[in-house]
Amino acid sequence: MLNVTIRKQFASNGRAGFALDAAFAANQGITVLFGASGSGKTTTLRSIAGMVTPDAGRISLGESLYFDSATRVNLAIQKRRVGFVFQDYLLFPHLTAAENVAYGAKSRHDHERRRHVDEMLKLVGVDYASECRPGELSGGEQQRVALARALASEPAILLLDEPLSAVDVTTRARLLDEIVEVQRKTGIPFLYVTHSPADAVRIGDHLLLMAEGRIVQQGKPLEVFNAPLNVPAARVVGTENILVGQVAAHQPEEGISIVDLGHCRMVIPSVELAEGTRITLGIRAEDIIISRERVNRTSARNLIAGTVKHLLRDGESVELVADCGIDLKVRITPQAEHALELAPGVEIYLLIKASSCHILP
Amino acid sequence: MIWSAFKLSALAVSVATLAVALAGTVLAFLLARREFRGKEALDSLVTLPMVLPPTVTGYYLILLLGRRGLLGKYLFALTGWTVAFTWEAAAIAAGVMALPLMVKSARAALESIDRRYELVSFSLGKSELETFFRVTLPLASRGILAGVVLSFARALGEFGATLMLAGNIRGKTQTMPLAIYEAFISGDGQKAQVMAVILTLTSISVIYLTNVLTHPPKAA
Repeated sequence: MLNVTIRKQFASNGRAGFALDAAFAANQGITVLFGASGSGKTTTLRSIAGMVTPDAGRISLGESLYFDSATRVNLAIQKRRVGFVFQDYLLFPHLTAAENVAYGAKSRHDHERRRHVDEMLKLVGVDYASECRPGELSGGEQQRVALARALASEPAILLLDEPLSAVDVTTRARLLDEIVEVQRKTGIPFLYVTHSPADAVRIGDHLLLMAEGRIVQQGKPLEVFNAPLNVPAARVVGTENILVGQVAAHQPEEGISIVDLGHCRMVIPSVELAEGTRITLGIRAEDIIISRERVNRTSARNLIAGTVKHLLRDGESVELVADCGIDLKVRITPQAEHALELAPGVEIYLLIKASSCHILP
Repeated sequence: MIWSAFKLSALAVSVATLAVALAGTVLAFLLARREFRGKEALDSLVTLPMVLPPTVTGYYLILLLGRRGLLGKYLFALTGWTVAFTWEAAAIAAGVMALPLMVKSARAALESIDRRYELVSFSLGKSELETFFRVTLPLASRGILAGVVLSFARALGEFGATLMLAGNIRGKTQTMPLAIYEAFISGDGQKAQVMAVILTLTSISVIYLTNVLTHPPKAA
């Protein structure tokens, strides 16, 4: 278990600027640290690794204390056993893929080390490229080698700083699944920084939402994205609802496909994906219509019953979170809120056009 | 005259280049990677010989290392040895004149390396020293090698400061550039020409060798 409480003040032009003030814990599995750029994600990650020294606070992983301003503990980066994967890979350019992985490998004997390196390269699926220099590898391959290199040093935790943002879109989806697979196989806890909601939902067991240097909400990724609890959280996650399900049926002559979301089904525009395919849908909060009565004859293909969970007023709009078995956020005007007498516990119906459901990569 | 000057130049220049390569790399690393008090002063001091007239640098070296010099008097008191009119003086003068070039090249090379490579190495459990030899130095090797070549060339051509500190004694402190000057002044143009050609050929082969080393032919 990783425990982090850190504060760090940054000065800009002599005045007090951005302040990091984060407290959170991360368990086994993959914890996603999500936030806009400049929200303090990278500084947090680097503080854990020992690359940045916070002004105050405490960082510990299980039994080992990394940093404690009260007792003046600041463990050297070498002793933290923290693996770090950068966005731009940073493979040592003068070494081959295998040499890069061997660089941090713990094993003593040569043959043992070689076996360990082979094993790691195989784990991330680039054993065919072991003799290549980084310059000869694609972005995706380089990131796989970087992952293997970090894992070969047998870290107690792996920190990944937007590892896929420099990788092309098609490789990205595959690599995401592979990262999850590697995490399950090794059992090492991963702390994964990203600003992509789709990635966060796909990979995260737990999500930490960061805004302006603070953790503003945390929980299961889908719940955090679709049901922000406060205005800063709502602003960070944006207006997109994210739903994960699988393709259940096709009616091409009707121009629709049906997605099973577990708690309910969603009609979407026809897609050419095999039944059973995993799919991530996005529905913008402002594209959902709320009705107090069940509407029967409407062009909206989805009618979902639910209750109001809570309402957040942010400037000139209201974000309503509805509990429909799954959480969905809906953006309405204050006028609509008053006219429909919406309040927590009120029963409502959500109307969603099929064409408002788009597929997230 | 030619042979003794050649031997002396070879000795002084190789000792100077070797010392400058080591000291210059360490200084460059400190300037590029560490924050400490007096860093700017150290930088200025190291760079000074590049902008001062060589005779002035030589003059200061006498004040520092001469028999009654700031450091030289203790050295003389302790060992009875003094630097003036020795081949070591020629090496010191050449080294001090070459040092700024070495430090500048090596510092630029070190500063151009993404510091995060070193952070990666640390996170893989490697000490600062091991990281320096296995990551930093290989990544900066071209710039450092270029610095060594420039230093070699500067040391080989050193004239003014050498003349001041070491003097111009044939067979003792007379390096090639000094010998060329003497030969030319005393009307022995042919000797001067031979030595000029030797120095030119040496310089060309060093440049060629460096190019081969820094741009190894790609294996097909």
